[in-house]
Parts: sequence; C-alpha cells; structure tokens
Amino acid sequence: MKEKILEVVRLALETDDIDENTTQETCAAWDSLHHLGLAMNLEDAFGVTFEPEDIAEMKSVKDIERILAKKTSM
Amino acid sequence: MAKTFIFRNNTIEFLFGNNDIEYSGYGDISVVPRDADTYIWFYQVPVKENVEQLSTEVVALSDNFYLVLDRIPRGRRIIVFTLCTLHKLSYVGNDFRLDDVVEQFNMTIRETAAHNQNVKVVDFKEFLDSYPSSDWIDWKYFFISQQIVNPRLAVPFKLWFRRKLDELALKRRKCIVLDLDNTLWGGVLGEDGIDGVKIGGDYPGKAFLYFQEALAQLKRYGVILAVCSKNNEGDVLELWDKNPFMVLKKEDFAAWRINWDNKVDNIVALSEELNIGLDSMVFVDDNPAERELVKQSLHMVAVPDFPKQPYMLPVFFKYLLDHYFRVYSVTDEDCRKTEQYKANALRARAKMHFSDFTEYLRSLGMKLTIQQLNDFNLQRIAQMTQKTNQFNLTTRRYSDNDIRMMNDAGCDIWCLAVADKFGDNGVTGLIIVRNDNIDTFLLSCRILGRGIEYAFLKYMLLLLKARGMEKVYAQYVPTAKNHQVSDFYDRCGFTLTGESGGTKSYEISLKDVNLTIEEYYDIKIQ
Repeated sequence: MKEKILEVVRLALETDDIDENTTQETCAAWDSLHHLGLAMNLEDAFGVTFEPEDIAEMKSVKDIERILAKKTSM
Repeated sequence: MAKTFIFRNNTIEFLFGNNDIEYSGYGDISVVPRDADTYIWFYQVPVKENVEQLSTEVVALSDNFYLVLDRIPRGRRIIVFTLCTLHKLSYVGNDFRLDDVVEQFNMTIRETAAHNQNVKVVDFKEFLDSYPSSDWIDWKYFFISQQIVNPRLAVPFKLWFRRKLDELALKRRKCIVLDLDNTLWGGVLGEDGIDGVKIGGDYPGKAFLYFQEALAQLKRYGVILAVCSKNNEGDVLELWDKNPFMVLKKEDFAAWRINWDNKVDNIVALSEELNIGLDSMVFVDDNPAERELVKQSLHMVAVPDFPKQPYMLPVFFKYLLDHYFRVYSVTDEDCRKTEQYKANALRARAKMHFSDFTEYLRSLGMKLTIQQLNDFNLQRIAQMTQKTNQFNLTTRRYSDNDIRMMNDAGCDIWCLAVADKFGDNGVTGLIIVRNDNIDTFLLSCRILGRGIEYAFLKYMLLLLKARGMEKVYAQYVPTAKNHQVSDFYDRCGFTLTGESGGTKSYEISLKDVNLTIEEYYDIKIQ
C-alpha cells in the first residue's frame, strides 16, 4: 500500500521527488490546486471517499497513510 | 510564445492547466491584459438559491462580457463558452426567468460571433450533455474550492476542448473512403443483385438509407466521398445507374477503386489520384479484417470501428462528425470540393492521352483570374494561409484580422481563381507583397501540375514592374511539408543571396528578366 500511495502522490503532484517523509510544507509542487487533484486521485486509486475534513487533514504522506488505513479498515 | 488569458467566475485551473495560461480573479473584469494572443470567457451560472437575484446577475454578466470585448486588443481572438446552468433550482414550474436570460446571453454572443470574426463561440452544453446532470458538479469539491465542474471530468474536457480548438483552426479530415456491401447498403451486391440489396424500405434498409443521406449532407459541407470496395466495378456502376433507392450515386463520389485488389493499395492509389494525404482520410468498412489491415499498414488513415448492428448507424455517423469532420465554419470553396477533386481525376486521365505536355496544357483552356483583397475573398485568403502546407514558400499563418491589418498597412494582397474546361477550382492561390518583398506565395495542391505557379508569379512580377519597381526580394522558409518548393525561386530565375538556418533569401532584378507568359494562360485581373 505504501508504494502505491507514493505512486499516486508522484503522479498527482507531477514530481518524482516524493518519499514517505514528504509533507506539504517541504514540497513546492504540493500547492492547493494539486492538493485537490491528489485527493481525487487517491479516492479513485483506493476506491474510497474522503470527507472534506479528511482532505484538510492530509498534510503529508504519513497523514495520507493514516487516513487511508482508517478508511480501508472500515 | 502563445499566451491565453481566461475570464472566469469559478475554479477552473484543473480544466485548462497552468501552461502559458493566466486567469482573471473570480468574476473580475477590471484587468484586461494586452499581451495575450487568445482570450477565453468561461463563466457558468453561479450557484445561488435566489432565482430572481440570479437572473439579474446573469443579465449583468452579459454587460460585463461586452465591456471585456471592447477592451481586448484589436484583432485578438476571444473564445466564448456558452453559459450553462449546472445546478438548476426551479421552485415554480412556470418560472422560466433564469432559463430566458441564460438563453438570451447565449443568443447574443452567437449573434456577435456571426458579425465579428474574432469572436468564436464554443458550446459548453455539448460537453455537459455527454454526462448525466448528476455528474456535472461534485459538491464536495465545489464547497472545498469552488470547482463548479466535477474535477473527474477534467480529462475528457481537455480532450474535447482540444478538438474544439482544431475545429476553430479549421483542421479536419478531407475525405471519407467507404466500403459498399453492408456499409452503404445491407447485403452483398454480388449475391443479392442490384435490386436485392437492402436500402430504404424496412429495417435494415432504413438504417442504411439514413447513413447514405447523412453522408450526402457531409458531402454538401465539403467532405470528399470515395469508394473502396471488393466488387465487380460493372455491377456497382449498374446499381448506381438503376437502383432508384440509392441516395449516393456515381456522381457523388470523387473517385473509386472497385476491384479485387487489396484495400491498402487501393487507398494509397485513391490518395494519389485525389492528391490528398493519407492523414486526411477516414476509412469506413464493416469488415473488421479489412479495417485491421488498413490500420496496421497505413497508420495515418483514421479507421473507426463500424457498428455491428445497422440500427447504430446514427450514433456512428455522429461519431464521425464529432471526431473527424466538424469545423467551425466552411467557405463556399469547401462546399465545392468533390466537384473539384473529381475534375482533377478527369484531368489526370486526360493527361495520359497527350504525348506532349504543352499540347495538354493548351487543351485545358485555363482561365486565371486575379482578384485584389475584398470582403468576399477575405475569409478564403486567411483560410489558405492557415491550411496550405505543401506549396507554401513561407508558411506564415494569418487570421482574417491580420490580413485586414496588413491591407491597411499598405501590403498588396492578391488571390488567384482558376478554372478550366474540367471545372472551376475557385480561389486557390495567394500572393502577399510587403513593399518590395514577397511575404507569402502559396497555391493549393489542387491546381498544381498545370504550370500555373509560374504564370501567376510572372504576372505579378509584371504588375510590380509596371509600377516602376526594379528589384523584388523573396524567401523560402523550410517546414516539414514544403520541400517541393525549396528551389521554386531558383526555377523562376531568382538569384540566391543568402542562406541561414535553412531559410533561403532571393532577389530578382525586374529589368532583365524574361517575364513572357505562355499564351494558353488566359489571365484577367478583376
């Protein structure tokens, strides 16, 4: 799952410079427009639906892992 | 570099991207930058609960649009998306106020576009209609970031908008190559006979009739029809002659290859006979094996899947229109295409009867008419600069407005109309002279092979000489497609004066050059 998340993040943010420690603050490509595209791509890739609150909380790759883990275990 | 500026009232970056594109503020028209090539107006009816207020807002939107239109620099293009209501609330069934003002806005911009060449209307409804209205907005993304269009529609939107830009650039496929049995009619001619094939009457004949009638319309808009079929030519000619239910007859096709040879060779032969590139052809055949063969051998030819059931022909035809043949506007020239290409095929056959090329040219009775720029040929002149690739010395693309401005600036803009005993080719040549320099010299491929390029150029040089001009300058600018004219000016007696980056510069002294034109060109100036 981790590798798949990184794949989606790289694709959505249009940069290869992403690892599990990447956060919105350290990544220039992660602007507000790309953030929404990223949320949408994650929804499509993992077959989940985020709440707006989830999307607001997703500020790093680790956040994404955590939120997705919660969603997929439900 | 081309730059686009978009006026908008919602978040739409995901639809148009950020490459060379700038956006206005939401609903902001206070800034109209002067350095964009293209402006886009992309507004949707806002999401509001108060219908009365909304109607007033839409009326104001129309005023805003015209304020912007007045302020964009002269000659620049503005693409206006029609206004759509993505979220429609109706409290009372007979309250059409909002629909009325939206329709009013759309009618007004269409009217404006009809009179102003720089205004192009793109119907956003056409895109939305491909999806159920419940998919138009994703409310989560709307509330998070005011994306009025569902971000999941971004990819199809981009593809659709690219096709729209091609339509605006008047790019389309020129020719549709049709199979016959089970494509233009039901059944097999060789087995069912000329009265036995299914066309008209009950289903499936009715569906094939629809298809033939639709193709007849396509021809009216200037798409060339051709046939490539495995049949006995004699049988087909007899059917065209005798079956009263056929909508498409012999005279509707510019050329055909009806034989038992393989279709790849036949399509190549058709492309040569009609002088049309393979990348301008669409091949339609009910037989998947034939389609596959053509697809694999001729990558440039478009080969759409043909429906298994004849009742799906209307859907198939719409697909053909949407993907290959629609352009934003057509000229009279376009509509006469089939006749002109047919005449070309006749000329090619006549040529074989003459052993002497001069005798052949003399037999054609060519009439060349040279016209100065006017309101009637303006659109065609701009179109030729946009579409001519092969016989085009500099390949400079101009809009209607560019042409008008060049004329205002004192350029000489002359176009050439060509007719001969086989038919009228219409306006098919252009020369633009800026002071003593040939800015543009081009001819449509349809009129090549008759020495017309030399007669036209010599005649224009004579005109300039008569004005007292002593020297004329010209350039050849290479492109991927215009190699055939790389030595045109050498052949015309110009002197090469320089070459850099493939571009060749020439000059010619009008005093000593021989400008005699063969007497079989009947040249008039209008």
